[in-house]
Amino acid sequence: MSEQSGFTRHGENAFVAQFSESESEVLINLAGQIIELLSERADHGDEDPLAAMVGITSHDSPPDDEVLLRLLPNAYADGVDAAEFRRYTESVLRNKKKAHAMSMRVLLKSASDGGIELDHENANAWLGAINDIRLALGVRLKVEERSHDELELLAPDDPLRGVYAVYSWLGWLQESLLQALMDDSANEVN
Amino acid sequence: MVKTKSKIEEEIQAIFNSDKPWVTIVWDDPVNLMTYVTYVFMELFGYSKERATELMLKVHNEGKAIVSTGSREEMEHDVARLHEFGLWATLQRGDQAL
Repeated sequence: MSEQSGFTRHGENAFVAQFSESESEVLINLAGQIIELLSERADHGDEDPLAAMVGITSHDSPPDDEVLLRLLPNAYADGVDAAEFRRYTESVLRNKKKAHAMSMRVLLKSASDGGIELDHENANAWLGAINDIRLALGVRLKVEERSHDELELLAPDDPLRGVYAVYSWLGWLQESLLQALMDDSANEVN
Repeated sequence: MVKTKSKIEEEIQAIFNSDKPWVTIVWDDPVNLMTYVTYVFMELFGYSKERATELMLKVHNEGKAIVSTGSREEMEHDVARLHEFGLWATLQRGDQAL
C-alpha cells in the first residue's frame, strides 16, 4: 500500500482519491465480505413474508456471531426491550449497512483507473462502510483486549499482522476523508 | 445545610422535569476514530464542531455520554441512526442510573 495520498477535497462537493489496483482489490473484497455477512439470515425458521416485506423479522435475539453482534448491537440494556427493538429495526439496519458497502464496491468496480470522486452523500456511505469493515477487523484483532503496542509488535509470521496492516490503513484512509469533509464544515460555521 | 447534588444527577433531573424523559447514550469504543465520532455527531444531530468535539471527548474520557434527549420514539430514531454509522449507542429513561 505505497504512494499514500488519501482523499482530498476538490471544490464544494467533491472528495477525490486515487487507489492502486491492489488497494481497490482489498476494498472491493472487504466490502463484499461485509455484504455477505449482513445477508446471512439470522434465523432459520419460517419468515412471515408480509412482515418481512415491511422489515419485521420473526427473530429477536442478538446475533451469535461476534462480528455481527458488533455491527448490529442491542439498543437497550434491558433484554426484553432490546429484543422488541431488534424485531422491528434489524433488517432495516442490515440493509442500510449493505447499501453503504455496495456504494463503495460499485464505485471502485466502475473506476477502471482507480480514480474515485465522491459527493457528500457518497462520502458518508464510504465512511460508514469503512467503519463497519474496521469494526469487523477489530473484533478479529481483539482490539478490546490488546494494546496498540501489542498489535504493532505482532510477529512477522502471525496471520493477524496482515489484518492489522489493513485495519491501520483503513483508519488512515477514513481519517483523510474526514479531514477533507471537516474542512468544509469549518468553513460553513465561520 | 447545603445539599450537594452530583452534576449528573442534576442533569438527569433537568431532563426528567422537561418532559423529555428518554436519553441516548454513546459508549466508548476502541475502534472508532475520535474524528469520526465527532463528525457523526455533527452530521446526525447538527451539532457545532465545538459541541460535537466536547461530547466525543466525554465519551472517550468517561466511557459514555448522553448525546441527545427526547421522547422514546425520538431516541429510538437517534440510536438507529448511530448504529447505522457504527457507533455503540443505547437508549434508556433519563431517570435511570447511567
